[in-house]
Amino acid sequence: MLGAKKKIKIDKDLWEKISVIAKAAGYSSADEFVIHALEKEMAEFEDAETDEEIRKKLRGLGYIS
Amino acid sequence: MLRTIKNRLLRLRYGDPVIVVSGLPRSGTSMLMNMLTAGGLKAVTDKHREADTDNPRGYFEDERVKDLATANDKSWLRGARGKAIKIISHLLTELPDDNYYRIVFMRRNLQEVIDSQNIMLERRGENNPVEDSKAIEHYKRHLINVRVLARMRNNIEMLEVNYQNAIDHPAATAAAVNQFAGGELDENRMAGVVDASLYRNRRS
Repeated sequence: MLGAKKKIKIDKDLWEKISVIAKAAGYSSADEFVIHALEKEMAEFEDAETDEEIRKKLRGLGYIS
Repeated sequence: MLRTIKNRLLRLRYGDPVIVVSGLPRSGTSMLMNMLTAGGLKAVTDKHREADTDNPRGYFEDERVKDLATANDKSWLRGARGKAIKIISHLLTELPDDNYYRIVFMRRNLQEVIDSQNIMLERRGENNPVEDSKAIEHYKRHLINVRVLARMRNNIEMLEVNYQNAIDHPAATAAAVNQFAGGELDENRMAGVVDASLYRNRRS
């Protein structure tokens, strides 16, 4: 399974816009741009668990040490 | 059918489930703990945090839970099998793999949660370190992460309970929670401890 890939379907008009933006932004391909955008979005969810301001608030409320 | 088979396998492997009551702080977790104990389920609590203005019926907490993120030894949680324990949502990722968890997860209007948290912070003499708009965005992402966690871990099942719905329909909520928890609780007693007068900081 190493290196296995999944395909997704994207609306043709959206894909054309993605291709234009990817090229303008210096990505080697539209695929690379989409992967980067998805990884960035995923990271925001992961970062939500380590937000220090929120942890301070939870500490202030007495729910974590 | 598949769920029944899965439950039997989990019970064989881990014993009785730990009934976890979770959610954001101020989302109704103490009310749900009160319902479960009224229904006949034992709670894991050290009674260290006493009832106050913010939680007049008590907190139903155990101090060891606060250290779940840093503790090396979490084996004490095995003692929570077949009992109810309150664990805020930010600590769910810290649950060890050697138990089977049924999580009753409280959902409440996020602005109400923030309002209630801010009032509690003020009463405790603590500063609020995060703007409300940022906290809401964080909580939205965090709640999605909790759903992902529940889907990804084989030893976790989760039932979401809406706080306002529980206040408005205590009998139906008691029935749903009882079924999820194993079906052996007294639903009338569970519904009987739901007190709508404790639903403060309403936004709708």
